[in-house]
Amino acid sequence: MIPSDWELVQRWREGEVIAFQELVAKYHQKVFMVVLGILNHREDALEIAQETFFRAYKKINEFKGGSTFYTWIYRIAVNLSIDFQRRKRRNPIELRETSAEVIEGEGEMGSDPYRDLQDRELGKRLMEAINDLTPDHKAVIVLRAIEGLSYKDISRILGCSQGTVMSRLHYARKKLQEKLGPFL
Amino acid sequence: MMRNCTTVQRSLGAWLDAELGEAERQEIREHLEKCPSCLAEKRRLERLQSALGEALRARASGIAFEPFWREVQRRISEREIPWHARFWDWVRSILYPQRLAWVVPVAMVFLVGAFSLREFFPGWLSGSQRTARTVVDSIDGHGLNVALFRESESRTTVIWLFEDHEEEDEASGSSTQGNPF
Amino acid sequence: MRLLGALPKVTLFSFGLVLSSALLIAAEKGLPGSKPGVQLKIGTILASNQSQDFDPRLSKMKNQLKVFKYRSYRLINEEIQDVPWQANALFSIPGGRSLVVVPQEYRDRQVSLKVRLLERDKPLLDTSVRLRNRGNLLLGGPVHEGGVLILSIWAMAE
Repeated sequence: MIPSDWELVQRWREGEVIAFQELVAKYHQKVFMVVLGILNHREDALEIAQETFFRAYKKINEFKGGSTFYTWIYRIAVNLSIDFQRRKRRNPIELRETSAEVIEGEGEMGSDPYRDLQDRELGKRLMEAINDLTPDHKAVIVLRAIEGLSYKDISRILGCSQGTVMSRLHYARKKLQEKLGPFL
Repeated sequence: MMRNCTTVQRSLGAWLDAELGEAERQEIREHLEKCPSCLAEKRRLERLQSALGEALRARASGIAFEPFWREVQRRISEREIPWHARFWDWVRSILYPQRLAWVVPVAMVFLVGAFSLREFFPGWLSGSQRTARTVVDSIDGHGLNVALFRESESRTTVIWLFEDHEEEDEASGSSTQGNPF
Repeated sequence: MRLLGALPKVTLFSFGLVLSSALLIAAEKGLPGSKPGVQLKIGTILASNQSQDFDPRLSKMKNQLKVFKYRSYRLINEEIQDVPWQANALFSIPGGRSLVVVPQEYRDRQVSLKVRLLERDKPLLDTSVRLRNRGNLLLGGPVHEGGVLILSIWAMAE
């Protein structure tokens, strides 16, 4: 039987490091995706994702089980990402080069090359448009888009009300639509 | 309730996210059946959602677990969380809105109450009135007798002047002033 | 700012409103001693044994007046003046007397006063006292209408 997150946390608290390793294996990709969505820089995102699990390890006794493990770990990840972004003002040109480099590394062309090209262009412009959002708006759009998290979970992660989540999502989507216009 | 296009388009995101109640969902569904412009907006939003998810997931592919895990282990064995990071984490947890929802009205009542109480208990905010006593630094009776008296229970300080009277009330055999205490 | 943004706007607005009101009240009241003056209140009380009447206007001072053995207390006059620091405040006292009070300073939550009681032009008493803010001193002894006068000297630094 696959152990639940709570069982793994309990075992981890009792000193079973393998339980912690299982949690990292389960969530490292998801955490990295969320952080990368906010920071838009691969190396920084890796650094912050690793830091997230380091902090979680040190603060495990603060996790009381009131929220799910994943909302707790995402909260750490989002806070670290937003703090990191505020501390380091990145050069916008460097960001555009990063997104272009990632797009080039994508998989093979599909059966409709024109469609694939259009999607690539949309993806590139999407990342640029997301990067123009504030960290708070980036966080909601990324959490919803990647993880499909409910507004309730997102509100717990970000420490705001569900109404705020809804209005930030609406605003962020509006901004993205304005910038992407004909591509949609 | 009939909805107009502005209201519907504002709720489309939440509708697609399945965050609306059944009644609202039904209303929007019915509106979309009749309104081509809102239907087009819904399709644009769906495309945006799908493109977003794909773009973000594509960018994040290819993170190998082993090197990631080794780095996390290295941090755990070599580092502690800096004190300032712990402090800001604590501040964040205190200011989490669900707790703050109680703190704010309590703070409001406390502030209003504190300033109102000054009207009923003047001086209570000015510090301890109980320990501050009246101090008499000097007295000069200009040749008359003066008594200084303090009563602790009522915190009363009295300076009593015994006036020089040439005539006394012979019927009572005592002066009007007499000993007041 | 991110934390502030997480709060409902209504809560923030209400909190801001209350905080502003509180600050305005505090500013209006001010810190004692920060405004240029003292409010002085002199109550003239006639104490005697001619009756058993106790003036209800003196109810707040009942405990203080118990110090004396008189049976009857009547408030003859009460006068309030706002007096700048170092300025002379003159109060008329029955029987051709007057009271001059000169506020000196406010320090350690106490108001320093110089007080002179005169009978016509003749000084009867000079004293320097320090009253706790919004506190009083009783000065008594002058004979009047079959009883004695007790002066309540009250001061509040503004």
